[in-house]
Amino acid sequence: MAKYVLYRLGDAIPTLFLVLTLVFIAMRILPGDPALAALGPMADPVQLALFRERMGLNEPLPLQYIYFLWDAIRLDFGRSFISDVPVADLIARNLPHTIYLTIVSVLMGLCLGIPFGVFAATRRNRPPDNALRIYSLIGYSIPDFYLAAILLIVFSLQLGWFPINGAGTGFWDGLHHILLPAMTLAMLKSAFMGRLTRTSVLEVLGRDYVRTARAKGAREGRVIYRHGLRNAMLPLSTGIGISILATLSGSVAVELVFNRPGIGRLLIDAISERDYPVIQAGVMMFAFFVILVNLVMDVVYVFVDPRIRMKS
Amino acid sequence: MTEPLLDIRNLCVDFGPASKPLRVAHNISFTVGAGETVGLVGESGSGKSMTALSVLRLVPEAARLSGEILYGGRDLLALPKRDMPEVRGKEIGMVFQEPMSSLNPVMTIGAQIEEAILLHERMPAAERRKRVIDLLRLVGMPDPEARVNAYPGQFSGGMRQRVMAAIAMACNPRLLIADEPTTALDVTIQAQVLAMMLDIRDRLNSAILLITHDLGVVAEVCERIVVMYAGHVVEDADVHTLFSRPRHPYTQGLLQSVPTLTDTRKRLYQIPGSVPPAGTITQGCPFRARCPKRLDRCAVEMPPMVTQGPSHRAACWATAMEAVA
Amino acid sequence: MTDLRMEETSPEDLAQREVLAAEPGRFDTVRRALFERPSTCIALAVVILFVIVAIFAPLIAPYDPLRQSILQINKLPSWEHWLGTDQFGRDVLSRMIHGSRNSLIFGLLSPVFAACIGTILGVSAGYFGGWIDRVISRVVDMLMAFPELLLAILVAAALGGSFWNIVVVLTAAFTPGFARVSRASTLAIKQEPYVEAAIAAGVRTPVIIFRHIVPNIMAPIVVLMALWSASSIRIEATLSFLGIGTQPPNPSWGNIIRDGLNAMFTTQWPIVAGGLAITIVVLSISIIGDSIRDVLDPETSQ
Repeated sequence: MAKYVLYRLGDAIPTLFLVLTLVFIAMRILPGDPALAALGPMADPVQLALFRERMGLNEPLPLQYIYFLWDAIRLDFGRSFISDVPVADLIARNLPHTIYLTIVSVLMGLCLGIPFGVFAATRRNRPPDNALRIYSLIGYSIPDFYLAAILLIVFSLQLGWFPINGAGTGFWDGLHHILLPAMTLAMLKSAFMGRLTRTSVLEVLGRDYVRTARAKGAREGRVIYRHGLRNAMLPLSTGIGISILATLSGSVAVELVFNRPGIGRLLIDAISERDYPVIQAGVMMFAFFVILVNLVMDVVYVFVDPRIRMKS
Repeated sequence: MTEPLLDIRNLCVDFGPASKPLRVAHNISFTVGAGETVGLVGESGSGKSMTALSVLRLVPEAARLSGEILYGGRDLLALPKRDMPEVRGKEIGMVFQEPMSSLNPVMTIGAQIEEAILLHERMPAAERRKRVIDLLRLVGMPDPEARVNAYPGQFSGGMRQRVMAAIAMACNPRLLIADEPTTALDVTIQAQVLAMMLDIRDRLNSAILLITHDLGVVAEVCERIVVMYAGHVVEDADVHTLFSRPRHPYTQGLLQSVPTLTDTRKRLYQIPGSVPPAGTITQGCPFRARCPKRLDRCAVEMPPMVTQGPSHRAACWATAMEAVA
Repeated sequence: MTDLRMEETSPEDLAQREVLAAEPGRFDTVRRALFERPSTCIALAVVILFVIVAIFAPLIAPYDPLRQSILQINKLPSWEHWLGTDQFGRDVLSRMIHGSRNSLIFGLLSPVFAACIGTILGVSAGYFGGWIDRVISRVVDMLMAFPELLLAILVAAALGGSFWNIVVVLTAAFTPGFARVSRASTLAIKQEPYVEAAIAAGVRTPVIIFRHIVPNIMAPIVVLMALWSASSIRIEATLSFLGIGTQPPNPSWGNIIRDGLNAMFTTQWPIVAGGLAITIVVLSISIIGDSIRDVLDPETSQ
């Protein structure tokens, strides 16, 4: 058990290096001249020279790569070109908002999606099931920033129930500010989770051991929740991982629409201001999150499925 | 004669639209007495599993049941759906064909047996735990105290079938339905599992309805045999009568196709043709295309079950004529 | 009388007839995919309509999508401007019509590029195995861990937005999926007796790959292309909305909404119209993609 977790951790380290290498390739090698790509074709030669000096672009590439890795490991991302604040501080300031938004919307999404999926699975091809089919199709098609804008227009602008932007201060005000952005992401995730739950539960309910449970005299509710959903948790836990990551990527647009602080907002603002160190750090943060979530899901999987536990 | 424990009368199982039903079981009627072991025999596709599932109303949702299934004088088919869980597991236990997939892979076997008790009887947790161990011992599980916390994935097929039996017997049901309990097992394990079931029957005095396609198993275990063909009961007799004087041509063919140890030179008899798919025969006797004794009448009308002797009935026009003649 | 005929039909005959019925021609498959369900027919009509609009955009659009007018800033819909104007006084309907070109061209281009590159990688990994497989699989597994949208945002952040960069971004986001699917299919087909026989007979590798393997893995690839052209349109819109996709002043449904957000307090029509267009097109393409999947490989359909 502990061995398996350690093995997974060990497995994540080369992945981390691979991701860092890809970030390096994407930002330093692919653009040809990173200075020109970062500052744009209009930049004057003095600025370009200054940029190359600050980012160490005059060193040979292998040396740049080693510096790049070393800085990443120490979480030293340099200073912002615009505000001259250490990038690490900027991230520390914005990260909690993104994490809060992700957690709240994933929880809301699961609370909406899983019961809906179970409800539809037990009423196959009847109105609830068709409703879920349509809900999930629309949820898949509607872009998150559009849904965010519509909710903002309807509930904040027209009805005035929620504040228009910002993150608020204090717990209750913060909750008031986060509900609408979280709802945006939660609706999209619940469409996905609802569909996945329906499929998994239907698959499990057709299994022989579910018939055994009925033959024991278990009532339908117990059959569905104790035997059906419990076994459907295996595919669902993968789905939850995907949901968390999708919420993370969706948070970029949602933070922009609701004008909330966060890592996505930081990255997008940095792109428009050509703040190279912040872009680089933002990209690395997201990549790091992806690896972390996958790692955690791998470990969770072991807890859910005794079969994997026994093998290790 | 006392009232039988299970009395199935004119059971029909239909699939598909009501206007054009696909009937997989036609007017099934037979009984199982208290403490009796009855074998329900037929090829795959004969409707025997569907009949067995009908007793607990565990047939697929699309199936429609009609007729009567009297258990202790109560018609199970007339019972409201929400009352069925009271019968399942408590009055009637069931063992399924596939031991590899019939147990929940993410629950320990102890928890699965315990659930069967929990659903029907109130008792302190410690006592329940002890009962689980006793049940495992009853079905011949070695070292039950240690194995109780193991998952199904850690057991062989034979051991899992013992766990299934423990689940089915958890509340001392008066009737145990076993649907091909040994089919998926190795021959040596088959014998062990059968011996275990008989042992349980003798200790708890339950009746058993054993569904199988294996005449050898039936001969060894059962007191009475019901033969099914293409959704019909074609013969019903006690085991000695059936093996010595089979009256239906299908039963006769089945018996001839069982290999014997004494005569190995003879080529095994094979009934010509194969079982017609459900719904293809709408009139007359379904066996007539393969029957050596068929009469003109067989194509027109399904023969009724005719009494052939004490506790012996068969559905065949040819034998009915012989009986009269 | 009918009964008599039935009696003469042996089960073998019945089975034979079923096998014959279950082998439809290629044309029949396409017909069944697209015309059997009414919802698919409507979706197809919608997509065709948008394609026509995109092709004939300059003829259909009432105004020049780039022409600004200080007198016409943030107008509500009227007879002159059906969807109103934006903060530069540009006609929103004309921008929508021209914007459809961007969306559809990305929806078409990037899945095709991604399918080509991904299939080459996947088939090489599956066919040759060894270290080629290990390297490709490792990178693909890692990239698959990223949601496509996030991958697109990250690559766009690194490269910056221009037409070809967006194509590169979207292609990069979808390539891993194609590589994984084609690798798995290649592995399965390589086990088939006719491929093993061809290898044993000394048929040259390129011939085996193009004769036997590629044609047989086309079904899942086509399904993925259909499903991902929907994603591709949605992701391009998101990138443009974030300001790292199609760059202003060129119109795209995504940046129409971005501009609309700035004028949100006066007119909400650009947001509503832009978003509806994206949603309807993505929805229609998804419905078509689902139908194709259901017909081509029923096993993977949910």
